[in-house]
Formats: sequence, C-alpha cells, structure tokens
Amino acid sequence: MQISYIAVIILFCLGIYTIISNKNIIKMVMGFTILESSLILLLILISYTPGGTAPILDRQYEIVVDPIPQALALTTIVIGGSVTAVMLAVTIKLYKRYRTLNVDKLRKLRG
Amino acid sequence: MNRINVISKKLYKIGLVVSLAIFLLFIFYDIHNLESNSKRYLSDHYISEGVQETGAINIVTSVLYDYRAFDTLGEATVLLTAAAILSFLVPITKDKMRGTPFTIIVSQTTQVFIPFLAILGMYLIFFGHLAPGGGFVGGVVIALIPILLTITYRVEFSEYKFKPDKKKVSEDIGAIGFVLIGLLGILTGSNFLANGQANVSLGDAGELISAGLIPYLNIMIGIKVGAGLAIIFNSLIKEK
Amino acid sequence: MEAAVWVIILPLLTAFFIGISKVYVKKIFVPLVISSAIIYLYLLILVINNSYPPNVYSVGAWRLIGINLMVDPFSGLFLLIIALLFLPVIIFSVKYIKSYKHEYFIFTYIMTAGIAGMVLTADLFNLYVFLEVSSLSSCALVALKKTNKGLEGAYKYLVMSTLGSFFILLATILTYYLTGTLNIAEISLEFNEIPFKIKSALMAFFVFGYVLKIGLIPLHFWLPDTYEDSPIPYNVLSSGLVMKSAVYALIKVLYIIFGIDFLDKSGLLQIGVFWGVITFIVAHLLAFQQSNLSRLLAYSSIAQIAYIMIGLFVGTEGGLIGGNFHILNHAIMKGTLFLVTAIFYYSLSAVNIEDIKGLAYKFPILSFTFVVASLAIVGLPPFNGFISKWLIVEAALESGFVYAAFFILVGTFLSLTYYLKVIITLYTKNDKEIVVEEPGLSLSLPTIFLGSLCIVFGVVPSLPLRLINKIPTFLLDNGEYIRVLLGG
Repeated sequence: MQISYIAVIILFCLGIYTIISNKNIIKMVMGFTILESSLILLLILISYTPGGTAPILDRQYEIVVDPIPQALALTTIVIGGSVTAVMLAVTIKLYKRYRTLNVDKLRKLRG
Repeated sequence: MNRINVISKKLYKIGLVVSLAIFLLFIFYDIHNLESNSKRYLSDHYISEGVQETGAINIVTSVLYDYRAFDTLGEATVLLTAAAILSFLVPITKDKMRGTPFTIIVSQTTQVFIPFLAILGMYLIFFGHLAPGGGFVGGVVIALIPILLTITYRVEFSEYKFKPDKKKVSEDIGAIGFVLIGLLGILTGSNFLANGQANVSLGDAGELISAGLIPYLNIMIGIKVGAGLAIIFNSLIKEK
Repeated sequence: MEAAVWVIILPLLTAFFIGISKVYVKKIFVPLVISSAIIYLYLLILVINNSYPPNVYSVGAWRLIGINLMVDPFSGLFLLIIALLFLPVIIFSVKYIKSYKHEYFIFTYIMTAGIAGMVLTADLFNLYVFLEVSSLSSCALVALKKTNKGLEGAYKYLVMSTLGSFFILLATILTYYLTGTLNIAEISLEFNEIPFKIKSALMAFFVFGYVLKIGLIPLHFWLPDTYEDSPIPYNVLSSGLVMKSAVYALIKVLYIIFGIDFLDKSGLLQIGVFWGVITFIVAHLLAFQQSNLSRLLAYSSIAQIAYIMIGLFVGTEGGLIGGNFHILNHAIMKGTLFLVTAIFYYSLSAVNIEDIKGLAYKFPILSFTFVVASLAIVGLPPFNGFISKWLIVEAALESGFVYAAFFILVGTFLSLTYYLKVIITLYTKNDKEIVVEEPGLSLSLPTIFLGSLCIVFGVVPSLPLRLINKIPTFLLDNGEYIRVLLGG
C-alpha cells in the first residue's frame, strides 16, 4: 500500500473534522476545500501508472496514464470551486446581517 | 461542568473522525490488495482508439469534450448557476474598495501583462485538442484580465471596461453555443453531441483545424468560463 | 428516441435564454417561460409513453464507451411527477413571484434539468454531476428572498448537501477504481467478483451520502429550515422532486448496482425499514409542535419520505409498487397543500397556523381543496394516499415486518391529530375583519387541478398503476436492466 493513499485518508478526515468541529464559517468552508482536494488527489493517484506519460499522444509512447480520472478531476475542480464560491457569498451575506462568523450565534432557526 | 462538557464533545468528534480514518484505511488496504489495475479496458480503448475516433491527440480533451461531453455540459451549468447566484446574492454596491493604492510600477506592469495573458488564454483554448490546456484552463487565464484590472485599478474601472451585463450575456451565449454545437449532431442524423459519429470531418490528427467539433466546443467553454469567473470574482470582491 | 435528451436540454436552453432576455428583451419573458413549459410537457408525455419497453439513448452515439441515457418505467414515474407538477407551478409562479423573477425562473429551469438528468442517466459520475446541478440551484432558490432565515437555511442546506455529495463522490471514485468503468450496468456485472466487505463499505458511503440529502432522522435538522422562508412554489418542487430524486438515485444505485440479493444478505433492507419507522414517528411528533405552517408541512414531508423508504426497502414487488405509488401521491398531495399555503401567504401573508383562522369562509373552494389534500395525506379513503399507504402496509405484513405495519397505523393517527388541528383552525369563525387580496384564476386553477388529482387517483388508481406495475421487474431483477442497457 502506497504512502500517498494515507495522505488522501488524512486529508479527507482532516476536512471532515474541520467541518464538524469548527464554529467559524470561513474555517468550515476551508474544510470543504480540503475535502475536495483530498478527492482530487485520490483521482490523480488512481490514474497513475508507474512510468506513464501524460495522455497526449503526439510522439512515441509506451505507457500512458489513465485519462478518465483526469477528466473527472477537472469536473470535480470546477464543481468544487463553484460550490465554494456560493458558500463564500452566503457567508458574506450572513456576516453582513449578524456581524459574526460564529455558527452558534446565528442560529435563529431551531426545532 | 461546562468545561468537561466541551472536552467530551471534542473527544467525541475526534473519536468519530479517527474511526472513519481507520475504516477508510482498511478499505483502501483491501482495495489495493485486489490488483484491480488490470481492469482498464475503457481507458485502454480511449488510448488506443481515441486519436482515430475523435481526432484529438490530447486524450483528456477528447474524453472531456467528446466521450463524456455531457458531463462537461453539466459542469458548465454548475458554473453558470454559481455565477448567477453570486450576481444576485451579492449585487453591485457603490462602495470604494479598501486597499492600498499601488505604485506606478504595478499599474504599468499590468498594462504590459494584459496582451500576453490574452494571447496565452487564446493559445490554451485554440490548442486545447493538441496540447495541455483546453476551454477551462484558457477561460481561467482570460478571466485573469478583468481580475487584474479589478485588483490594480479598482472595481469601477473593471466594470466600466467589461460591463456586467455583457459578461452575463456572453456567459449565456457560451452555454447556448455549447448546446447548439451539440445539436448539430442531431441535425446530421446522429445523436446529441456527436462528433466523429455524425460524419464531421475529423481532419489530420495534430493539425490546428482537426478533431471535428472539439475546438469549437473549447471556444464556447472558454467564453463561458472566462465570463463566469470574472462575474464570480467581481461579485465577491465588491462587498465591503 | 431523441425526446429523451431534449427533456434535459430544453430547460437548460430556456434558462440560458431567460438570462439573455433579462438584459435585452424583457417583453418576451412570460411567453418564453410559458411556451417552453408547454413544449416541455409535450416532450415529457412523449418520453413517458415510450418508457416501456425501456430504451437507451446514447449521447454522442458512443454506446458503451460514452454516456447513456436510459428511459425505464422507474424514471418514467419521475418524469410523470415532473409533468404533473411543473406546468402548474410555473403558471402559479408567474403571478406569485414578485422579486427576482428572472433568477427564480432560471434556477427553477436549471433545477428541473438537473432532476431530469439524474433520473435519466445511466452513468455513475454523470449522476453526481446532475445531482450537484439540482442541489446547487435548489439551494439558490432557498436563499431567493434574502431574508435572514432564508440565508441560514441555504447555508445549512449547502453544508449538508455538499458533505453528502463528497461521500457519494468518494464512493464513485472507488467504484471506478475497482471496476474501471462508470456505466451502471457494467459496474453491476463487475461487482459480482468484488469481495463482500468492500462492497458493503462502498454501499455504506452511498447510503450515508444520499441519506444526508434525503434527510432521515437524525440527519434531518437542516430540512425544515430550508422550507421556512423560501418561495413557497419552490417548496412544491422541493418536496415533490428534489428530495425524491435523491431517493431515486439511492434506490437505483442499490437495486441496480448492488442487487437485491446483496441488500438482503447485508441486512440493509431490515435497517432501512427500521430507520423509516423511527423517522416517521419522530417526524410526526416534531410536526405536532410546529406553529409555522411551512415547517409543519416540511416535517410531514420527512414522515412521508419515511413511508416511501419503508415501501421501497421491504424488498418485495408489492412494497416497490406501494412505495412508488406513494412517491407520486405525496408529490401531488404536498404540492396541493403548499400551493394553498402559498395563496394564503399571497393574500394576507399568513405564515402561522393562527393566521389562517376563519379563512375557510373567505376561500371556500381553496379550503375544501386543502381539506381534501390533508385527509389524503393522512391516509383516509377514498383518496389516493389511502391506497398507497394500504399497499405499503400490506407489503410490510407479507414480508414479516409486522412492527412496521403496526407503527404505520399509529403514525396515521399522529398525523391525523395535527392535520385536524390545522383544519379546525381553518374552519373556526373569526370575528376579526380580514382584508384579503383576491387571488386570480392563475393562482387558484393550478391548485384546484392538483387537488382534484388527489380524488382522481384515489377513485381510479389504475391510471398511474399501469405505469407503476412495470417498475418492480426492472428493480428486483437487475439482469433485465443490464441486458437492455448493454444492448443485448
């Protein structure tokens, strides 16, 4: 088992921990970014073949890495970026209304 | 009492995450031991046949814009949704941006940079099927121009140069263009987003005008991503 | 079968054109929206008619190496729900929505496209992409009014749904790693060789991710918040389609990829039924305490989804028919209730249950519709809710889940109490003079249309059951589905 997969696990769990333990909205958004990057790292890792070249076939090649996860990674990056942008926009709006970034202090909705 | 409560809550969360980590570790270990690397017939097919079937020598581009172009339509929609959300949630406020006025060095260098950025972005978009790059990357580079203008000369100037309405319309046009190019496939009697299958001439692989409709899809995505990212950045930075 | 792909691209194109019309030609806005919705209805009917025998549309004509769309009776049912809800909601919203009109319609159309994509696609990653499309745009609709509560609801919604999507994405990536393909049928074939332990771990990720989006107890707390201060016509689509589409994706992944035998062996069916029972009991109890009408309906939605989960997780033919029929019925009944609530809000901005006191004498027909729909949702004959609930109870008894059947009866009484509370308030005489803004025909007609469907489907249940009866063949035996998708 390669050590890099452990990096994926660490990043994933770090992201989850950041989301569930932090009270600060901005830090929660950071947690989502960490989570997203762990999944992108996983995609890149599963596409890797030892000794492979990039999947651009303009010259002689022998081993090429798997192109599908790279395409999926691009999709994931775009979607993750969009979600992060929307989250930040909502955060700006919430901060303007409540003048705080603490999640506990803006819980008007309960039950 | 309160402190014990806080500590136990924290321990509970840490325990939860650690158990998730151990679970993941076992799963990854098991999966890794399966030797499933042999199951790559789909990507093997893309690598061995992709150049003939799509005419693009960048296989990632051919996956993104031909084999799985429907995914790209979906993610373009996500980006458009995000830009629309931002432009209505954090709309224009006539407020001066905080920030230090830059020296003449910065503003002059920005002027020098902008043409290069435009060329680089265009290159990445137009050569997306031949070299690393493509509509998304090129669009991001194009979006850097309004972003640089915003950072160095304030939002007002950037909005004056690139009108928000124009940006929104060009984003919509990019998305509509993507769908319309996809519809060409239906017009020629094949399926939606068909390229080589719809008898579009693929040209010689490696030429600039080759790969059928992929370069045009790249251009549309480039327009869309550039406009969308510019909208997103300006909306976020405008709020005080 | 060109219509299948048009079901996804037509709403997308409409949304893009609304974006352009907002800047340049404001006049064509209403004709554009209405005509597109009518064409969309026609397309949906075309696709639903062709849903049996199932057929496959291959995007880009790549067959198995690309993305495929598949129309089978199960997705046909969801398209039927879109067909029944979409046009009434659009007609209703043209008058109802006053601020951010263009944005509302852009997001509604994109959301519908996302749901249609989720329902039709036969590709695991494409499913994730369309899931993200629908949940991001529906989150935007929650925040549309820009009130404090709406923004907070949107934030919670974003956090929970994104967390769920990441688990789903993790499972998707691992599935690709294990099988080397993303086509559902091929994955299902490859999964026969995967060890039990890995399969159950992957299933756990899928289930956790989708359950976060469905909102079963204890992961439900964000859901009522999203209903409280969002535009009410959106709530119709949200409870009728957005929540259900997550149920659809979960059921499709579980039944097609993993197969019913594996579900039985791993014990997920028992867990699912038990989870459903707990969920509706708690949700009914919580709904009883609410004073806000939208929140009450939201908790009731959670409970109804739990009934659906019980029906779908019993794992027999009768259970699947009952659960799927309840999906359709719940969409209609909840749609009616929300639309009536929306008219009350429109006429005199009534939010709480006390505010609607005595309104029955002002709006006799609408109040009668409300009573019909709430009695239907409680499960009294001769309305449609009774039949589907009866089918679920029957299926639960048949396969030995006696406790589930018993608790469904208990739950019926619980829901009767709080719906009766609302109805009694509605019919109590109020001495206060109420000034109301008269709702026009464009508001009341869609409401009455949906309300009359409650009675129609209750009296002639064979109408939708003709479609629903074909669903279990493709879910219980995934071999059939795989054969069609692989084109054998």
